[in-house]
Amino acid sequence: MTAATPTARPRRPSRRQVLFGVAVLVALIGWAVVTLDVLPERLLRLPGGLAHIFHGMYLEEGPEWEYLPDAIGGMLESLQIAWIGTIIGAVISLPMGLLGARNVTGGIGSNVMRQVLNAIRAVPEVLLAVIVFIPIVGIGGTSSAYAGTLAIGVHSVGTLGKLTAEVVEGIDPGPVEAARAAGGNGLQVQRWGVLPQVMPEVVAFWLYRFEINIRASAILGVVGAGGVGEALTQAMAFNRLPRAGIIIIVIIVATILIDTASGWLRRRIIEGAAARVGGEALEQPEIAEVRTA
Amino acid sequence: MTSAAPPAGVRPAKPRRSPWTTVALVGFAALTWWAASTEFGIGFDVVRIFENITRGADIIAEFFPPNWEYLPRTYGPMLETFRMAVIASVIGCGVALPISFLASRVTTPNLVAFLVDRSVLNVVRALPDLLYALVFVAAVGIGPLPGILALVLFNIGVVAKLLSETIDGVDPGPIEAANAAGANRTQMVRWSVLPQVLPNYVAYSLYVFELNIRASAVIGIVGAGGIGNLINTERRFFRYDNLMVILIEIFVFVFVIELISIWLRRKLV
Repeated sequence: MTAATPTARPRRPSRRQVLFGVAVLVALIGWAVVTLDVLPERLLRLPGGLAHIFHGMYLEEGPEWEYLPDAIGGMLESLQIAWIGTIIGAVISLPMGLLGARNVTGGIGSNVMRQVLNAIRAVPEVLLAVIVFIPIVGIGGTSSAYAGTLAIGVHSVGTLGKLTAEVVEGIDPGPVEAARAAGGNGLQVQRWGVLPQVMPEVVAFWLYRFEINIRASAILGVVGAGGVGEALTQAMAFNRLPRAGIIIIVIIVATILIDTASGWLRRRIIEGAAARVGGEALEQPEIAEVRTA
Repeated sequence: MTSAAPPAGVRPAKPRRSPWTTVALVGFAALTWWAASTEFGIGFDVVRIFENITRGADIIAEFFPPNWEYLPRTYGPMLETFRMAVIASVIGCGVALPISFLASRVTTPNLVAFLVDRSVLNVVRALPDLLYALVFVAAVGIGPLPGILALVLFNIGVVAKLLSETIDGVDPGPIEAANAAGANRTQMVRWSVLPQVLPNYVAYSLYVFELNIRASAVIGIVGAGGIGNLINTERRFFRYDNLMVILIEIFVFVFVIELISIWLRRKLV
């Protein structure tokens, strides 16, 4: 290091790489816009089309308030699908996450488990419902909701397992060594050395996943897998805009309410945990999710 | 600490459980029972999974072997998905930038502007991508355009939420320095906040791009263009061998993009 004289301004870092990146990005956008034909004239129809839909939903006759109880019933079903689906995901992902952690399994085992989790993550829940679970459990009655629940549960395993594995990889090895030194077997080491360290964060992930799954379960009905989306698809297909309007209001209100409650709980769990490990603030699940999801 | 250490050989008393733990456990059990019960809920039943598992095995067997001859026919729609994702990410992330600055008290001391922006953001985030696609298809007809519009709104929700939280947590030092040097609000944001959050912003944008590739497999089901259109057709004809090809292709595609974005993020930070 040749230190600059203290008063001299530091040299500006080279911008060549940044410029190159921007050029590539601009070229990519240009190519995408030019080759994707439809844009200009149909874009002009957008404001009119949206105005027409909004007018039909909320202004012309107002939203169909008589449908409110049914809409809430559908939303409750979505909520139940998301809740049970999240529990399925949590229960299956915990052991898979432990197995996927390098400091627990190590070597090929954890790598294989990581790839399995990646593969599960790659298939969106709507697709899982459409091509796997609806053909298996059928449609109509309670079967639709059942298919949706399984789809959400399986898809959640991918994300939750991966996040769990990452949290486990960041633990303090001390308690694990202590449990082993005290003669704990494999399971006991996990139970007393690993789990107490990771549980607050993992439970926060579960809650966060529940928030995401609410959104997923609200749309599963589009493919006939239960919940409020079924009624919405029907209403849109038959152009019953006032009814679609009230359903959308119910979805928005319910989602925001649950986000708020769950967010409060998550903060409570993480901050409670932080107080116990000595005031060290833990990472927000959302930010961690970005690295991995 | 002034209290004396406990005498050796005596086990420390087990800490009392917080009453909230009991409340949480009871609440959890009640909610789960309500959601799973046949009378009030979805009638979830573990036994049924095992009853159906053989049928599941039959269907999953139909996915193999994948029909690789089908692969060339997927290139066109896959490219469309890629283009949709590029356009939607650029527009969505661009719009999300100012919205994020409005959604943090650090950069927006004006309470009214902050609350309005937050509320709009909460509403935008509350609706799932497929629902936007449904509405936009009704507004402008089927094709990639409603797909792009739906993805743009979805992207704004994700990026603005993450970025505004990052802005909440920036180091206040540079902000104070800018204020002390007489910067106005715009200059302060430009020179103190933006450089701190830029690497995160790029990371979130890449993340959203990945999400778009996956999401477009889904929104095509309601007619919003891309690879999802093809999935919808093939599932109607129960061509699971063709579907498997598409699924593998999406998986590889997302995997490659993930590798590139990990490499890019490492270069940036």
